[in-house]
Amino acid sequence: MLALSGVSRSFREGGRAHRVLDGLDLAVATAEAVAITGRSGSGKSTLLNLLSGIERPDSGRIELDGRDIGALGEPARTQFRRAHVGFVYQFFNLVPTLDVEENVRLPLELNGVRGAEARRRSAAMLQRVGLGDRLGSAVDALSGGEQQRVAIARALVHEPSFVLADEPTGNLDEATATETIALLSTLVRSRGATLVMVTHDLALAATADRILELRDGRLRPRS
Amino acid sequence: MSTLSAASARHLLRHPAQLVLALVGLALGVATITAVDVATASASRAFELSVAAVSGPATHEIAGGPQGIDERLYARLVAAYPSLELAPVVEGYVTVRDEALQLVGLDPLAEANFLEPPSMGERATAAAPGSALADPAVGLARWLTEPGAVVLTESTADRLALPLNGRFVLQIDGRPHEAVLIGRDSGSEAGRETLLATDIAQAQEWLGLVGRLSRIEIRAPPGAAAEGEIARLAAQLPPGVELEPAQQRSQTSLEMTRAFTTDLKAMSLLALLVGLFLIYGAVSFAVLQRRKTFAVLRALGATRLDVLRIVLAEAAALGVVGALLGLAAGVGVGRGLIALVSRTLNDLYFVVAVSTVTLPKSAALEAVGAGLLTALVGALLPAWEASHVAPQLGLKRSALEARAVRLSRSLLIGSVALAIAAGAIVAASSRSLLAAFAALFLLLLSVAACTPGLLAGSARLLARSLHRASPLGRIALGSVAASLSRTGVAVAALALAVAAMIGVSVMVESFRESLDDWLGRTMSADLYVSAPGPGFDRPERRLDPRVVAALLAVRGVASANAGRAVTVSSPRGPVSLDAVTLAPRGYDAVQLTEREAQAWAAFERGAVLVAEPLAWRWRLHPGDRLTLVTASGPRSFEVAGIYRDYGGDGVLIDRGVYRRSWGDDAVSSLGLYLDPGVASGKIIPALYAAAAGRQALLIGSNAGVRALSMSIFDRTFAITRVLDWLAAGVAAIGLVGSLLAWQLERSRELGILRSLGLTPRGAAVLIEAQTAFMGLVALVAALPAGLAAAKLLVTVVNRRAFGWQIDFHLHGMQLVDALRLALLAALLAGLYPAWRTGRAPIAADIREE
Ligand SMILES: Nc1ncnc2c1ncn2[C@@H]1O[C@H](COP(=O)(O)OP(=O)(O)O)[C@@H](O)[C@H]1O
Ligand SMILES: [Mg+2]
Repeated sequence: MLALSGVSRSFREGGRAHRVLDGLDLAVATAEAVAITGRSGSGKSTLLNLLSGIERPDSGRIELDGRDIGALGEPARTQFRRAHVGFVYQFFNLVPTLDVEENVRLPLELNGVRGAEARRRSAAMLQRVGLGDRLGSAVDALSGGEQQRVAIARALVHEPSFVLADEPTGNLDEATATETIALLSTLVRSRGATLVMVTHDLALAATADRILELRDGRLRPRS
Repeated sequence: MSTLSAASARHLLRHPAQLVLALVGLALGVATITAVDVATASASRAFELSVAAVSGPATHEIAGGPQGIDERLYARLVAAYPSLELAPVVEGYVTVRDEALQLVGLDPLAEANFLEPPSMGERATAAAPGSALADPAVGLARWLTEPGAVVLTESTADRLALPLNGRFVLQIDGRPHEAVLIGRDSGSEAGRETLLATDIAQAQEWLGLVGRLSRIEIRAPPGAAAEGEIARLAAQLPPGVELEPAQQRSQTSLEMTRAFTTDLKAMSLLALLVGLFLIYGAVSFAVLQRRKTFAVLRALGATRLDVLRIVLAEAAALGVVGALLGLAAGVGVGRGLIALVSRTLNDLYFVVAVSTVTLPKSAALEAVGAGLLTALVGALLPAWEASHVAPQLGLKRSALEARAVRLSRSLLIGSVALAIAAGAIVAASSRSLLAAFAALFLLLLSVAACTPGLLAGSARLLARSLHRASPLGRIALGSVAASLSRTGVAVAALALAVAAMIGVSVMVESFRESLDDWLGRTMSADLYVSAPGPGFDRPERRLDPRVVAALLAVRGVASANAGRAVTVSSPRGPVSLDAVTLAPRGYDAVQLTEREAQAWAAFERGAVLVAEPLAWRWRLHPGDRLTLVTASGPRSFEVAGIYRDYGGDGVLIDRGVYRRSWGDDAVSSLGLYLDPGVASGKIIPALYAAAAGRQALLIGSNAGVRALSMSIFDRTFAITRVLDWLAAGVAAIGLVGSLLAWQLERSRELGILRSLGLTPRGAAVLIEAQTAFMGLVALVAALPAGLAAAKLLVTVVNRRAFGWQIDFHLHGMQLVDALRLALLAALLAGLYPAWRTGRAPIAADIREE
């Protein structure tokens, strides 16, 4: 369960405040998948950063499973994110000095799962995204689609309740994009997690339960 | 290994040049500390062993001033204190075949001898089966009756190629004496290598101490009864003669070497300070290169503390490895340094021969601890910066850059605050060296803090003024400003390295020139004459009065300063006393810090002048009183003034006053002033001739002695300079790394320019222009802080560490050096990106980072 009410966020820009989110409301049910579209600069990434507790709203409430994220202090928000949120980015954001399996193991270790148990779980997760034979590969040896599958495995390995994806296919060709989105939504759904996905691609957005558009700082259903 | 530490380790290993430089820098710093510790500790240990060899079992000793003790006191005490074991000792330093040895005169018939007289008498034979003399009885007879009979250890005798019964010449004061080796002591007891044993009467004759003893050693049996006896004895001693615990003497001697060892220590600390900036540079680049990774970690849920921990753990690992490398290297270098150190100790203080290398456990721990601490302190700021990396990975670069610009503005304020804090710390503390170092650190941080803002501001300003003239230049500058999150940190680290370099080099140069000025002023005489021999203020080093008279009578000698250098005791510790009779020009040679006229008047009336370092350490000011133990007991002297001295920490007294108080009329050295137009080179042979047959002399010309002092100084600070350049190297390499990442990001912009017709060479020039600009900004930011750091080092750190006052000397050349460093680092850093850009295909794919 995810609920935003009256969320505003503005940034200073050359001395003037620029209101990116302006009294935004949103309710997403548990295990629901929502797609968000919007023009570049409309505040989509900002919204995801608020949801994950990376940033705080200027005003308004952001509740995830009943917890007011905006009201938590910095370490508590980080700990919440670590335990309950998985993130997938446009530019994969894998750690270049770690191999495939280590990248996936990272969130487990941050959550205190170590050693053989962690290794077993990350290997199993990579099996699920079809990279069971690439555990020891360097991440920059993978294709874009493969890298994004590692990122998906990393976002899901610690069984988060919320998965946030910021233009996850923006850097992939069309065929790979379709496969990747299919994989992402299947995995998220099979775990009963809630998915909030930002995308430009309406065809991909259609795989979600609901499509919303971010415009003028608010969300409205896509017509 | 956890994935986090694996990522850290791999990152460091993937940037080996940076890693190696940081390790080398830190290791050099630690090695310097260790080497100095090894050398001084080994020398001290050797000295203590030799003291123990002579007077090992003694519990107390009775000592007099430079003139020693009347030997009749010994006879009286033996009769009066039967429960105590007493041994008379006459001791001095001699030179045999250019080697310094310790002459010990023993009485084999004395009831106690703590240095087993080599194979004398029954006890000795029992104690030392490898007896030096074939027949003890014959040996004793020869020892007592044969003129010049001495005994040496076998190893030393071999080294000096002295056969049994061989005759040789030993020099005391440059005066030759005939000796014969009647025994070679094969006992291998440590500390005996430098001992030359002879009969007490023989030693008295040679050392000019007829009727006197250097000291009387006592062994008191344990127990309250003996303690009572000792107390009674102490109370009965004549004035000027004191009873001390036995360890006191070696302590005292070691204490006298303080000025020398502090110099060494200071140099090693300076090396470590530069090591600090090396680590800072290396770690901040390691952070800069991984900003993205840290952002990912933060987005995945690593807390700030986690990130802080990662970076500090890396620094700690670097610190430990660097420190261990340094420790190993330091022990090696220390071995080499021992020869130098013991040479200096022999020349200035006491005779030692170091046979074993000692690294005290505490020194090893201290070195490793210092390395680790340095690494952690150096990494603190980059670690903080890493932990505050914005985890907003989905945001556009421009949004992040906007943040960087805002941050750079608040950092400008932070920079001012840091500088003010540095000033406040200095103002609020008066003696704390730690506070001075903290202020220095804050000051340098303030440079780092102001640099990004300065970079962005000046790039924008310049871009605006270039508007019409050069669109390309505008693009170049514009992108420097637009990528502040990368360029800012790189330039900040460069600025910091440059500031540290300016600070250290101006400090070293100021010190050097102050020393040179001081030498120029202090050494006003044209020629310096002294009796050769070890130990700067050993009482046996005196010029034969007839030689003195002959020297002064040489044609061309106008006037002279006469000096007598001895060590006397005071309630606060030993004091190097320099008793002088000054020629009129000699007065100018003493650089008083204040009140010259009154000081000299008081000096002539019997007051003393105190060297600046001692005055600082003992908090003495003109008008205070200093108690010295004279031949007639403790006496309080007025402190008439403080004088500059970079050499030692002594006390000057009028020779007439000294003669009356200590009953010693000897002269240790002369400073000769020549008649105008007389060349010192011409007169030296005449001086040697005047002393010929009586005493060999050490005669140095003014220029020669000064040149020697300066070359010692330059050698001492060579390592600091090496480290300085290393620091610059780290900054340059880090700059390459971060510029490379930046240029990669800009490949699209450059691709467009290239497609519009910019030649590869043009692109290279563009990049070099950008990096040169950044180098200049680093320099501009570093200049004021570097000068302030220099001022701080010169006036505060030096003062608090040594009590020296150093004049600030600044040369255009040093600033040119800094300019060269900044530009060189920046241009080198641009070279590889420029080369790469020239070769890259025009339609380079554009991918963020
Ligand atoms: N940390 C920030 N500082 C300054 N401006 C920001 C920051 N984050 C976002 N912005 C601004 O907010 C607006 C929305 O950004 P973003 O959320 O990245 O849009 P989207 O993801 O929809 O393209 C942009 O104008 C961006 O410049
Ligand atoms: Mg976005």
